[in-house]
Amino acid sequence: MSSSHLSMLSSPKFSDLDSLSSRSFLSGLCLPAGAAASPRPSPSSTGVVHCGLRELRTRIDSVKNTQKITEAMKLVAAAKVRRAQQAVVSGRPFSETLVEVLYNINEQLQTDDIDVPLTSARIADIKSLGLDFVVLSVGKKGNSFFQRRPHIPVDRFLELGGLPTTKDAQAIADDVFSLFVSEEVDKVELLYTKFVSLVKSDPVIHTLLPLSPKGEICDINGVCVDAADDELFRLTTKEGKLTVERESFRTPTPAFSPILQFEQDPVQILDALLPLYLNSQILRALQESLASELAARMSAMSSATDNAIELKKSLSTVYNRQRQAKITGEILEIVAGAEALV
Amino acid sequence: MTLNLCVLTPNRMIWDSEVKEIILSTNSGQIGVLPNHAPIATAVDIGLLRIRRNGQWLTVALMGGFARISNNEITILGNDAEISTDIDPQEAKQTLEIAEANLSRAEGKRQAIESNLALRRARTRVEAVNVISY
Repeated sequence: MSSSHLSMLSSPKFSDLDSLSSRSFLSGLCLPAGAAASPRPSPSSTGVVHCGLRELRTRIDSVKNTQKITEAMKLVAAAKVRRAQQAVVSGRPFSETLVEVLYNINEQLQTDDIDVPLTSARIADIKSLGLDFVVLSVGKKGNSFFQRRPHIPVDRFLELGGLPTTKDAQAIADDVFSLFVSEEVDKVELLYTKFVSLVKSDPVIHTLLPLSPKGEICDINGVCVDAADDELFRLTTKEGKLTVERESFRTPTPAFSPILQFEQDPVQILDALLPLYLNSQILRALQESLASELAARMSAMSSATDNAIELKKSLSTVYNRQRQAKITGEILEIVAGAEALV
Repeated sequence: MTLNLCVLTPNRMIWDSEVKEIILSTNSGQIGVLPNHAPIATAVDIGLLRIRRNGQWLTVALMGGFARISNNEITILGNDAEISTDIDPQEAKQTLEIAEANLSRAEGKRQAIESNLALRRARTRVEAVNVISY
């Protein structure tokens, strides 16, 4: 608000009329010297807008609508991320117990001499053969990508609706399991985007099968993470902004009671545990992918909303300036006309 | 002395409460578990899990997994589990018919394995709805 002592137009935006100070008929008015201090938004932010008042008005309205839409999309994505995170949390008891059981069974097995066909002893055989692969694609974007590239062999396209359920994970796990057991494939890798933070997602490749004998989950580079080390992400607020905290914790793995008897022989038990492991890994990967997609959408919508706000601001400024220029022009015409009559 | 039963699936906990007795379908037959059972670990087949609580039997369709019984604590890890009251009989029957059709159309070892699994699951769900509770 300029501290002007003008008696003429008391509009607070009068400072913008310093552009007309060059016109001689305004010399009677004293323009406030400090008016130019109010910085005009640099013309490069909107270019030079030459459209009329009505077009500007329409444009401002449409930007306002876009802003509403992007903000709504951001809130929807935020709510969904919270739900996705809930799903991960409710899947925890399962994976914790499974890890416990796997550990203990492995310990027991390593003392017995068992030939377990699903461990990495087979990788040595596989390496001597050439690499032939088949892709199982999940999700709209992946599916359209592979559909346009027929030279990559794709086994099946799957699409998920909403939050991934056990049934979805089961369908994928069944496929993988039958491929592996019928020896059509020797190694199964899971490729998905790991949810790191609201602005960052890492694509990771995990070897799903064969299981390493020590109960580790291995990365494609051979970096193995202990299956008992788990990471959880949590959507919280920090300083009023939504952030994600990752906390890693280690599942306590108490030893089994030593008199625990296996009802069936260990191979059968492992056969039963394997689908459980597959299901939980695949479900976890699906949930993380969904969470990364939602987080990306959230941040994209958030920056889109900010852009829309800025655009609206600069458009409004230009609109107002044009409107005032028009008013001033009309006043000048009237004054000139009046003077001509005198 | 009551047993504490915990049924877990990858996405949520299906059951967590005290029970009097359970009957579990394993690969080597059905086993009944009463309080103070000897500790065992067993693979669970695709089948029904019957739970007795307050003199009433409840049925859960369990899609295979693993069970550990020790110290009056039963932990069942299932690929999927549905309490019979949550299953829609019509939908279960339809799924069974679709699964049977798929099995007859299956070619190759891999499809046969898959469709067999799907059939067994569908059949278990239908059985869970039809079981008489006594």
